[in-house]
Amino acid sequence: MDIQFELNGKSVQVDVPEDTPLLWAIRDHLGLTGTKFGCGIGMCGACTVHVNGRATRSCITPVSAVANSAVTTIEGIDPSHPLQAAWIKAQAPQCGYCQPGQIMQAVNLLEDFPDPSDEQINAVMSGNLCRCMAYIRIKEAIKLAAGEMQKEKADG
Amino acid sequence: MGKLSRFIDSSKTGKDTESRQLTRRQFLVGAAGAGLTLAFARPGMAFASPGDAIAAGAYEPTIWYQIQRDGRIVINIAEAEMGQHIGTALARIVADELEADWSLVELNYVDSDPKWDLMVTGGSWSVWQDFTPMSHAGAAGRIALIEEGARLMGVSSSRCQARNSQVIAGNKSISYGEIVSRGHISRTFSDDELKKLPVKKPSERRLIGHEAEALDIPDKISGASVYGIDASIENMVYARPLVPPTRHGASVKQVDDSKAKQVDGYIRTLVLDDPSDTVPGWAVVIANSFHAANRAASQVKVDWQPGKTSDVSEQQILDHGEKLIGDATKGALVVDEPGVDDAFSHADSVLEQDYVTHSVLHFQMEPVNALAFEKDGTWEIHTGNQWQSLAIPVLAKALDVDQSKIVMRTYMLGGGFGRRLNGDYTVPAALAAKALGRPVKLVFTREDDARFDSIRSPSNQKVRMAFDAEGQVIGMEHHATAGWPTQVMAPFFMPKAKNGEKYDPFAIQGAAHWYSVGAHRLRAISNDLANATFRPGWLRSVGSGWVNFALESFMDEAAHKLGKDPIDFRLGLLKAEGKNAGSAPNAVGGASRQANVLRRVKELSGWGTNQPSDTGLGVATSYGQERDMPTWTACVTKVRVDRETGRVHLLRLSVVTDAGTIVHPDGAWAQVQGASLWGASMALHEGTQIAAGQVKDTNLNTYTPMRMGDVPVIDVEFIDSSETSMGLGEPATTVAGPAIANAIFNAVGVRLRSLPIRAEDVHKALNT
Amino acid sequence: MKRVLTVIVGVGVLVLGGMIIYAWEPAIPKVPLPEASRFSQAQISRGKMLAGIGNCSTCHTNEASRPNAGGLSIPTPFGTLYTPNIAPDPQTGIGHWSEAAFIRAMREGVDREGEHLFPAFPYTHFTKVKDEDLTALYAYLITHKPVEYEPPANTLRFPYNIRMLQAGWKVLFFDDSPWKDVDGKSDAWNRGAYLAEGLGHCAACHSPRNQFGAEQTDASYAGAMVDQWYAPALDKQHEAPVDWTMDESFDYLRTGGSALHGVAVGSMADVVHAGLAWASGQDIEALATYLGEIGGAGSTSEAMQKAKTLISKAHRETDADMTHGGRIFAAACVACHYNDSRRPNTIRPDLALNSTVTLKSPDNLIRVVLDGVSVKGGLPGVMMPGFGHALNDNDIADLLAFLRRTHNNEPPWPNLAQRVAQLRNETNVNSDDATE
Ligand code: FES
Ligand code: FES
Repeated sequence: MDIQFELNGKSVQVDVPEDTPLLWAIRDHLGLTGTKFGCGIGMCGACTVHVNGRATRSCITPVSAVANSAVTTIEGIDPSHPLQAAWIKAQAPQCGYCQPGQIMQAVNLLEDFPDPSDEQINAVMSGNLCRCMAYIRIKEAIKLAAGEMQKEKADG
Repeated sequence: MGKLSRFIDSSKTGKDTESRQLTRRQFLVGAAGAGLTLAFARPGMAFASPGDAIAAGAYEPTIWYQIQRDGRIVINIAEAEMGQHIGTALARIVADELEADWSLVELNYVDSDPKWDLMVTGGSWSVWQDFTPMSHAGAAGRIALIEEGARLMGVSSSRCQARNSQVIAGNKSISYGEIVSRGHISRTFSDDELKKLPVKKPSERRLIGHEAEALDIPDKISGASVYGIDASIENMVYARPLVPPTRHGASVKQVDDSKAKQVDGYIRTLVLDDPSDTVPGWAVVIANSFHAANRAASQVKVDWQPGKTSDVSEQQILDHGEKLIGDATKGALVVDEPGVDDAFSHADSVLEQDYVTHSVLHFQMEPVNALAFEKDGTWEIHTGNQWQSLAIPVLAKALDVDQSKIVMRTYMLGGGFGRRLNGDYTVPAALAAKALGRPVKLVFTREDDARFDSIRSPSNQKVRMAFDAEGQVIGMEHHATAGWPTQVMAPFFMPKAKNGEKYDPFAIQGAAHWYSVGAHRLRAISNDLANATFRPGWLRSVGSGWVNFALESFMDEAAHKLGKDPIDFRLGLLKAEGKNAGSAPNAVGGASRQANVLRRVKELSGWGTNQPSDTGLGVATSYGQERDMPTWTACVTKVRVDRETGRVHLLRLSVVTDAGTIVHPDGAWAQVQGASLWGASMALHEGTQIAAGQVKDTNLNTYTPMRMGDVPVIDVEFIDSSETSMGLGEPATTVAGPAIANAIFNAVGVRLRSLPIRAEDVHKALNT
Repeated sequence: MKRVLTVIVGVGVLVLGGMIIYAWEPAIPKVPLPEASRFSQAQISRGKMLAGIGNCSTCHTNEASRPNAGGLSIPTPFGTLYTPNIAPDPQTGIGHWSEAAFIRAMREGVDREGEHLFPAFPYTHFTKVKDEDLTALYAYLITHKPVEYEPPANTLRFPYNIRMLQAGWKVLFFDDSPWKDVDGKSDAWNRGAYLAEGLGHCAACHSPRNQFGAEQTDASYAGAMVDQWYAPALDKQHEAPVDWTMDESFDYLRTGGSALHGVAVGSMADVVHAGLAWASGQDIEALATYLGEIGGAGSTSEAMQKAKTLISKAHRETDADMTHGGRIFAAACVACHYNDSRRPNTIRPDLALNSTVTLKSPDNLIRVVLDGVSVKGGLPGVMMPGFGHALNDNDIADLLAFLRRTHNNEPPWPNLAQRVAQLRNETNVNSDDATE
């Protein structure tokens, strides 16, 4: 079945069974491998993408559910997004496998909580498992980015 | 040069020789291809010039680098990159001596090659083992470049010095790139010359020990890093395994795939025939997409003849372990000093306790996977792996081809933690590709990965201590049993114990402690029921992960028995005398350095201050895994226990580490943070059990590693040191567990002697 | 609204309801399909808006490619009904219906041929609709795209399949008095009441029905099961943890979600997005005014205060919880559902404020967990993936038990795992690859 949606700003079409998880459609059929497979049950966050701007676990989202929607993956995140710079500054990744998902989730976190408290970060990011336990630096990176974004806003 | 190089040899020849030490090699510097290559020569090979030798590839994979005409310095890394930023650490060692401009340094992770026989990343060995040869490699390059640069500038080389990828003489200078472009370097350094090369004093280092951004990080946050699971090749099909009910001895009686045929994209189900016996009783479902393979797999019915262990439970394994410990004739006496029995029979009092730890999954984020195919007579295995040299012989047997016909391509690892030391997961992919005559990409679902994991074995331990009338420790015994990974996967690496029994060093080493306790006995016993039920794995710090739990919990119990402060008690035993005095080059200072980290963590953690109710501090310390490679570590945790539910809130973790010279401080911090949280996660959040021959928890719905909200405040501190660089990836894993158990005791007065510590357990202990 | 007769007359009358003379209605002759030019554009657009408020297409469309052509199955205790084709196709739809025939159907529940309609068609409400509105609705429907499609036949059991008995039913349960504004109420209230009680037929879903399938007038808006979803109570005994306010009702009806309650799922998603979306802001406000009074709307500040208390309590209790359900919640749910207690965000539906967690029946919550919320439901564009394939019955049961325990003060739901298995079956979410 042909399913059409927007991937990182470009219209794409995949011919796959409609119950194919969005994750595999993106990775295996559309060739973008930055989105990772960790658990397949929506509980590790490695596969997080944005559907219409909201972080969504692509491993449990059938591709048919995003027909005509806008999907963004890590490859579609603006490299100049303050989160990317903060992630480098904090040297957040270890093995790196969870990081695309962490970043996708963090984008929404900062939209919803522009100046997040520890509790808010903990809650929103707890769905993203980091087996290397790079949590402290992920949190640090989020705070750095939040500060940067607040500053940008203040500067106009 | 220690365990690893010995291991390379014994794995090939069965003999324990020192002949392959890297420092005894010639070092070649010669033009080849796009630039200048600098590498250690392979032994026993004669070539007219370094350039010829390099062009013929007659050099070691472990350390080699190239300087390109444009000045870029590509440092080839033969270690698996799994989050430790090992490439950056190793490159900084080379680049420091080379006086390279760091911004021109790039990493290249090399594939296995038949001509290179060893590739392994584990045991926190990399930096420790490569530090000296890498320094020499860098220094040799610098000298060759200075000589050639001087010639090109028409000055004497004694007037030149190198800085920032330039050779400078007064106000003249020439860049490395230019030297490589214009010059003709062909130079060999003999082993003796290498050894005499002056290596910088710590105070002169410009890169080692200074902050740097890891070179692997930018790609990891843009999604550009390529992991094994991202590998692909034209014409490949996808596969998902059907994992049999037992790890060993299963066979397929019948396969019914009639329902699977309705799945769009399903191709067929293969029953694997495995001459290497790595995956007995396996079938794989082949389809034109992973989703189709996955859907079809749920529709295929396999009738298995399970192996003998299909009924085995965790409790049976532990009961068996208890019996083994009770039988004094069993096991290897790793330490057996005279007078132990005497000490106990004459003791004024004896303390004895039993400890248990349960099964733990690796749960590395990237489920294991492999892409396999044959191309021009060579088998290519594309996957992330930590120990290519162990996997290749197995693959050769499985595929029935010569080892020289197998290449493992290198990818980033989505977590290793020891899981990928064991390359068993490559075998079903290779077998399927062979049977199909087509490239096969085999991906394990998380559930498959868990059921096929080389788990950390459950363990039993008994620790005893004898005291005289003054409360002095006069003897100690430690008996430990668990499944032994090395026995199962690399038996040629088992050393002999005092009583002639071979043993798995990784399953016991953390127990050969540096405390002076009088006569000491350490007995390691292989739990054969565990070995038969699953394939025990090396899991971050391996045996130290469980032996240190028993040892350091016990040290606390002993302190309390004597009414002493747990830190003071330990300090009293860390005397740095006799066998614990330490020796160069690795263990300079011995127990005194362990005492030092312990004293420092005492200050750092606020030890001894008043705590709110139900809140307490606990301590534990360790030397890491190997007496020959000690990483001195001490940890204090702070917990609050909720009496109503038994929930343990881990509030703070303070870790002090003395790992000698720290090469890449930022990376070192990350490793210690990660390792200590791993330890805490295994203590409070993880753990599974064997039920009906398999692990019970196979995904995150019931297996619950630490998440961000569970993370305590962490203080990490390194002792400033210029001693030999030690490994960092694992030691902090071993201290968090016992420190937590000890803190719980301090907070609410209950002693938990089993890992993991669950809220129910604490609740129960509080109410009995 | 008063009744013709009361229920006390009972079953006896129902049997007598067979009285043929009373029940007989004449057929209204076919007419040629009216020209579109017969109606003004204003009439047609007004009709479209009214069709939205009446939510005609939700029941009368089974496949998007066949708008208004019927065929949607409505399971009832008496058998399955299939909605008729109301597209203007002359053979299979209402193309031959005159305006009078249409109005009779709406007002009296009798089709063009004189057959009594089943009260699943809410003529009991449509009877209140004013003439000019019915004309506009007719104008819209009759000029819409004709679709040739014959819906499946109903499968009602005897004796419920005897349409004539419906006449008896009407004697008992049908009040055909016309709409009258209530004195002393504001214009907005009266407009809202007219829309809700008439074309909007809110009570048809939100009120329990008696054994004859009639709305229980003494329990209007007390909540009811519809198509395996529970339509929550809208009266003062509503299950929502925080009282509805005018603003909240407005947001919910306008956007499909509100910060202090949650989002519209199940058939309510269609009501909002495929129906009320065409209504004017003023009409939505009117509806919010009327429904607000029914539900005992409170003040915004009180509601915010209550929400804050509830969210904070949930945070505290979640934090202390290390159970299986609690861990699943932290790993699978919180990333999207967590809120700052002072500023709950509509896009992050807070489960401490969500009536799915406080309802007597866990069904709505189970269904949302199993199937998720589509991009078109809830808040448009914002989806929740279903966990039906990811979590097993036990996982979901423990998760729900956890929510019930920590996110409100209601008693535990019994036999959750069984109920999950049942609904999984009935709503067809495969568990074959859910984790064991
Ligand atoms: S792979 Fe999707 S959440 Fe784990
Ligand atoms: S960096 Fe390895 S899993 Fe997060």
